[in-house]
Amino acid sequence: MDEASFLDPLFRRWQRTATLSREDKRAVLALPWARRAFGRDSYLVREGEPTSVCTLLVSGFAFRQKLVSEGARQIISIHIAGEFVDLQNGLLEVADHNVQCLTRCVVAMVQKNALIELMASRDNVARAIWLDTLIDSSIFREWVVNVGRRDAKQRIAHLLCELAARLNSADPQSDGSNYDFPLTQEQIADCTGLTAVHTNRTLQTLRRDGLISLSSSRLTILDWDRLAEIGDFNERYLHHAV
Amino acid sequence: MDRVEQNPLESLVRKLETHHALTKEDRNAVLGLPYKLRRLEAQGYTLREGDRPDKCAVLLQGFAFRHKLTGEGARQIMAIHIPGDALDFQNMFLKESDHNVQMLTRGLVAEIPRQPLEELVLGNANVGRAIMVFTLVEASIFREWTLNIGRRDSRSRIAHLLCEFAYRLTAQGLSPDGVYELPMTQEQLADATGLTSVHVNRVLQGLQREGLIERDRRMVRFVSWDRMRDVGDFNARYLHTREFRAPPPSLT
Repeated sequence: MDEASFLDPLFRRWQRTATLSREDKRAVLALPWARRAFGRDSYLVREGEPTSVCTLLVSGFAFRQKLVSEGARQIISIHIAGEFVDLQNGLLEVADHNVQCLTRCVVAMVQKNALIELMASRDNVARAIWLDTLIDSSIFREWVVNVGRRDAKQRIAHLLCELAARLNSADPQSDGSNYDFPLTQEQIADCTGLTAVHTNRTLQTLRRDGLISLSSSRLTILDWDRLAEIGDFNERYLHHAV
Repeated sequence: MDRVEQNPLESLVRKLETHHALTKEDRNAVLGLPYKLRRLEAQGYTLREGDRPDKCAVLLQGFAFRHKLTGEGARQIMAIHIPGDALDFQNMFLKESDHNVQMLTRGLVAEIPRQPLEELVLGNANVGRAIMVFTLVEASIFREWTLNIGRRDSRSRIAHLLCEFAYRLTAQGLSPDGVYELPMTQEQLADATGLTSVHVNRVLQGLQREGLIERDRRMVRFVSWDRMRDVGDFNARYLHTREFRAPPPSLT
């Protein structure tokens, strides 16, 4: 049981918030997981389709998005390795939004009924899944605030801080300033309700002010305190300690 | 004190059953939860950001909303709640609340202590599922609001909010004649849509001038559900009620 498994990123994250016994972990590992690889931009979940599986991101980045009828896209959240990208589909009958890969991704899919049965028989697993869904929900709320009541510079700074804080928390080895950064400027715009032009200008300002450097999929945060202050970032909503 | 149902948690049971079937035993388990009634004035808080959420309020009478303040003091409303809604399931299992829940009007809540509620959620798989479905539908509404604010113009945003409110009231049997009271000021509407109150005022007047809605103080009537739905780009799928394809009868 102690050997490394493809579920380690999940167990590491759950261990922060719930206490899983060896038997709990063994039961999670014993679920009928199907591992698959997807290319960048592939769809993991499509809006309107009936749900049958839950998908754990093993490596790579993914995002949730919704479209208005005229086609404009809003990104709803970003997911990092070790997170489920569609836990709601375990219990809701139809997908109300899309989930897409931001990068090349390896995922592990499990039949939703198997996951629900496991929740019914293992309290610690149920608690861990409850926390995941509630923390997802908290992040959604914070994004409503971000697009509704912050200006362009604050919105983008907040987005960068959130991603960095979540990556730090997922990886104890992180140096706390350098990150894989999967988003294009157009995607940053769709996360923040801005235009691509406005996003480009705002990123230039953050660079010129010496707060970040951003190039070819790497983000370096040069001044965390100032970036967090500009982004009005308070990580309470991530519930890293519960 | 206004008359309340024999067991005020009946309204919670009804709400849970709009998404997930419960057996008689399940219903009795929910009805058996301990609770304390509490009357709240308009603007009263059921929960503040940073509080330890040690109970969960179920809204019995009146309307409530969730909101957060930015560091500069600007307010964003993230959800509106109608009678029957649980206000604090979002905080179960969490150590501190990340947002505020406040009354829009005066009202009445039943407060369930958190521990027996968590024990029920973990101990009774079907009730646990029903309650999780409720919280997942709430999360779906948050996602739709991000889309609404992030990618719709002011007219569609307001129309969408009105459609959602009408649809939910009707689904809960609270607006049988398609006329409803929107218990929000223009400032609160602005805070729910990321607009200014001046802008909200202009949009509401525009919707009225175009003959889409009629208003008398806070009473709103949809002249044409279909046209409002089109203006608001409203598709009820995200509310996950069982018959989301058909609008509630009184709205047609």
